[in-house]
Amino acid sequence: MAILVNKKSKVIVQGITGGAGLYHTERMCNYGTNIVGGVTPGKGGQKAFDRPVFDTVKECVEYTGADTSVIFLPAKFVKEAAIEAIRAGIKFVVVIPEHIPIHDMLYIRQEAKKFGTTVLGGNTAGIITPGQANLGIIPDIAFKPGRVGTVSRSGSITYYVADTLTRSGYGESTCVGLGGDPVLGSTFAEILAKFEEDPETKAVVMTGEIGGVYEEMAVDQIRSMKTPVLAMIGGIYAPPGKRMGHAGAIVEGKMGTAKEKLEILAGAGAHPCKTFTDIPKTLEKLGV
Amino acid sequence: MRLYEFEGKGLFKKHGIPIPSGSIASSEADIEKLVADWKGSVVLKSQVLTGGRGKAGGIKVVENASDAKATAKALFGLTIKSYPVEKLLVEPKLDIKKEYYLGVTIDRANYKLVIIGSSEGGVDIEETAAKHPDKIVKYSVAIDEPLYGFDALALAKQIGFKAEQVKAAQSIIQKLLAMFRAYDAKLVEINPLVELADGSLIAADSRVSLDDDALFRHADLKDMGIEKRHEEGEMTPREQQATEWGIPYLDLDGNIGMFPGGAGFGIMGNDFIHYYGGKPANFMDSGGGPSPERIAKMLVLLDENPNVKAIFGARFGGISRCDDYAVGVIKFLKEHGLSKPMVMRMTGNMWQEGVRIFDEARKENPELFKNIEAHGIETPIEEISKRAVELAKQAEAGEVD
Repeated sequence: MAILVNKKSKVIVQGITGGAGLYHTERMCNYGTNIVGGVTPGKGGQKAFDRPVFDTVKECVEYTGADTSVIFLPAKFVKEAAIEAIRAGIKFVVVIPEHIPIHDMLYIRQEAKKFGTTVLGGNTAGIITPGQANLGIIPDIAFKPGRVGTVSRSGSITYYVADTLTRSGYGESTCVGLGGDPVLGSTFAEILAKFEEDPETKAVVMTGEIGGVYEEMAVDQIRSMKTPVLAMIGGIYAPPGKRMGHAGAIVEGKMGTAKEKLEILAGAGAHPCKTFTDIPKTLEKLGV
Repeated sequence: MRLYEFEGKGLFKKHGIPIPSGSIASSEADIEKLVADWKGSVVLKSQVLTGGRGKAGGIKVVENASDAKATAKALFGLTIKSYPVEKLLVEPKLDIKKEYYLGVTIDRANYKLVIIGSSEGGVDIEETAAKHPDKIVKYSVAIDEPLYGFDALALAKQIGFKAEQVKAAQSIIQKLLAMFRAYDAKLVEINPLVELADGSLIAADSRVSLDDDALFRHADLKDMGIEKRHEEGEMTPREQQATEWGIPYLDLDGNIGMFPGGAGFGIMGNDFIHYYGGKPANFMDSGGGPSPERIAKMLVLLDENPNVKAIFGARFGGISRCDDYAVGVIKFLKEHGLSKPMVMRMTGNMWQEGVRIFDEARKENPELFKNIEAHGIETPIEEISKRAVELAKQAEAGEVD
């Protein structure tokens, strides 16, 4: 079991003929991800890494039965591409590029809600269910099938957490990247709810960072969960009022400090961790 | 991207929101030229990309020409929260009867736009929210949902506009929302929206923040002289250099040069250094898929920073591949040279290729690598963090000796 993606997922790549699209399609295929085709408007009929290329998502879905899409396109084309995928019946859309205009994300989210589609990103490394499917840019070296789920706003943190879980023998059920942009397709609360329903996930590590409200919004979900949640927040020593790499990572006024986020999450029953090495220690204590 | 008050007001005017007649002065000479046309009291408003300029003495009322020149001179010498005053907005003093607040922003938790209004304007809206929550009216609207006239009118009444103003207020609300959508705004505020002695409404101030990532579709802003800018106060020379090179970079006050991969670990890695008793000299993010050239420049920034005593390198290759990373590091070693001790860990996509590139270069010229301790996935990142703290301490101690 896993959440959102497994070996049966039929995956397409929007932007499959571009440089990043092609390179990562090859990686994803080599991992065993069931990539059934790709879309690049104007290049229908061609092949990319031996997968059929279509002009539209609708044609691609009709021909391949795809249910999942990974988008590798420049930010300004993402709104069209994501809404096209959602309307063509794709149920899970992963938006890899960063710097998606915020208003575009609001449109995408609006459309996704209408169609019951899950969107990840923008600016996400993707999602991996170890041993089954790897969507996005995630380096699989750190991942092994196992019993702990992870959800993070950062790609690099996802890799380090998985590295720690793999090293300590727990492995991962599914690792989800929410993305580093200020407005995201999915929230911590929504992904935690999916982990709660997955019998194979025995604990979840959520890693957040300064800025925004997504960590705080997870409070009610965490309170209602039987699956234990471990929480780590980056930016305890972040300078206020300065943007740190991710467009969403800035402490504005008194809002969004790491300390406050960690306190709020701990108050809801999450187990706070300072460094990655605290994760296996906490899991051991919890008997996971 | 935050706009100056006069730029925001320019957008208001374009959308039919009434604003005072005003002129921009960039020098005392400009002020002198403007003097001739003045009748009555005039306000000189410092144009800076920060709030609280009134309290900082950045807004002055002047009664006559000589007063104006002296005041302008003083204002041009002012720095408000690290923003030097370079422009003054010159407006007639308004005859204010009452101040309202009107704003539109994004409610990230609900994925909607939210219109906020209050009959208590002229103060910070967060202050009003804390002191008089009952005086704040909010109205949510989806990004693709029209705001009908009747809804805007009802909202105007609810905010507390008087009967003779509600039609004008309704119109301003609709225009403000239209402008928010038209320009990919993150925030637009009229604070205060002023009721004049004759009962009319006018936008006495503007606060507008646009989405940098959507500027590509607003070419008309450039025609208005509005270009992408740094909005977080004055940059240090190194921050300026990094910005020119396209590297997100902040100077901090420690001595460990941070050379991480993505932003996420850039943020958390700084915490780790603190946990192990060290202090980072900077924050840095390589950005997605950096070229070897950018990798090399990241190291130049650290090696040339005299505050940096040791360098902490971490690369978990995702979209940024280890082979590109290794090529970049070697480019730096060959062209610039590393004068400080560096401990680094490299793993992730294409790590074998990265290691091969390093090994080859080391065989060719071991001297280049004399200051580098290189690790792979076998060493936990916490150990690398601890080692960086140690190296910095040793370097500091060495200097004292």
